[in-house]
Amino acid sequence: MFKLFKSITKAGDSIVKYPFAPLDVSDDFRGKPEYNAKDCIACAACTRACPANALIMETKADENSRRWELSMARCIFCGRCEEVCPTGAIKLSKEFELAVTNKADLYEDATFTLAHCRECETPFAPRKAVDYAMDLLVQSGISEEQQAKRHEQVETCPECLRKQSMLDYDNVFHGKHLNNVHLKQEERV
Amino acid sequence: MSEMKGIREIVGKDHTATVPVPQDENTIKLKSVLLEDIQRSAYVYRVDCGGCNGCEIEIFAATTPVFDAERFGIKVVASPRHADILLFTGAVTRAMRMPALRAYEAAPDPKIVVSYGACGCDGGIFHDLYCVWGGTDKIVPVDVYIPGCPPTPAATIYGLAVALGILDQKLKGSSVKEEEGEKATLKHTGIPLEMKVIIEREARRLAGYRHGGLIADDFMNILVESTTETVDTNIKAYLDEKDDPRLREIFDNLYRVSLAELCGRSQPADARAED
Ligand code: SF4
Ligand code: SF4
Ligand code: SF4
Repeated sequence: MFKLFKSITKAGDSIVKYPFAPLDVSDDFRGKPEYNAKDCIACAACTRACPANALIMETKADENSRRWELSMARCIFCGRCEEVCPTGAIKLSKEFELAVTNKADLYEDATFTLAHCRECETPFAPRKAVDYAMDLLVQSGISEEQQAKRHEQVETCPECLRKQSMLDYDNVFHGKHLNNVHLKQEERV
Repeated sequence: MSEMKGIREIVGKDHTATVPVPQDENTIKLKSVLLEDIQRSAYVYRVDCGGCNGCEIEIFAATTPVFDAERFGIKVVASPRHADILLFTGAVTRAMRMPALRAYEAAPDPKIVVSYGACGCDGGIFHDLYCVWGGTDKIVPVDVYIPGCPPTPAATIYGLAVALGILDQKLKGSSVKEEEGEKATLKHTGIPLEMKVIIEREARRLAGYRHGGLIADDFMNILVESTTETVDTNIKAYLDEKDDPRLREIFDNLYRVSLAELCGRSQPADARAED
């Protein structure tokens, strides 16, 4: 009997204190996806990656809006959204206390506006994504002159861009690319 | 065939939807009385409506001595007739709808219904299968939702505490609108774009997609913060703090490829070959 008590005291207390004390979760714990709407460019990469369709995106051209929505009810905490997000707007946190009594509290959404093509006025991409692309180009260190040209390009929809490039003789003629390839190969040799 | 209980026809007899079993006022009133009186004697019956069994494993993990749900008087019972709390797991397959309803009806009123796991809350990963109704709340009225796939034992205990009214709900729904002229912040602005791509690609190649991204992020944060003189000490301090040989190896590689890029050479041949 005494031996038993001794081994019990030696074994110590194995019960975790939670919920009376905060629980220590491991470094790689994947909890609630924490979303920062300010950094989101509404690119929809996460909604394509989400295996459970917990993330959805709706684009309404007539309302000039794109809506992003996360449903915690469906989320399986896989982290695919975090992997693909180009701006780091969505990151899995260590929060695991997610139980709710009201289902509406499981949903998060954000609404974004669309950018309109400077030629044909149709909405073609989220405004923030267009701005982000331009910011990246500026940051990559292109010249002022090129910036102005690129600015026009990123604000034009793919359809109009295609039309424009058809008018440009240099772009239609493929020899240019062939020559480049040859030149490069010669350089390497 | 006469109309089936809890089933609504949408188009003819082919397309149907479920309607949750109605709850009458007295039951709702009784439920609040139950919550006041239940204290430390909550009997839980688990109804598996066609999940992957992951949720069951975590429920049992929550009743093990480590998490010890019985501290709070939470006990898993073998019959719905003994239950105060019904725990529904799984996405409610068509075949399991009737058994689930029978368990629901067999439990004495008032009962608390908990929807467990991503499947129970909204169908989870199975939500769009042809053979599921997609969630507990499609067949019975639900009091508490515990999301997770599966919820960890700690999340289970928290969820049951919310169901019993011991702890309060923390999560709040939110809805934001884009503000005028709002811009996404550019990360690591000091580093050239090509270099960022090379670092991120190498990190993801070595550490897998998610962790690679995180490691590349940390690495570039250090690069941005330091000057040519301090970069070595900063990296060393970071690695010493983490104390992980795998991370050290990856950082060495990242350092090598970024140095190579700075010196104007392309990636080393071995990094190329596996791309
Ligand atoms: S963690 Fe996985 S399931 Fe959850 S929102 Fe992200 S991609 Fe979707
Ligand atoms: S991937 Fe990131 S930036 Fe793109 S829509 Fe999702 S959260 Fe927003
Ligand atoms: S929520 Fe996840 S773990 Fe639970 S039954 Fe569904 S798929 Fe399995």
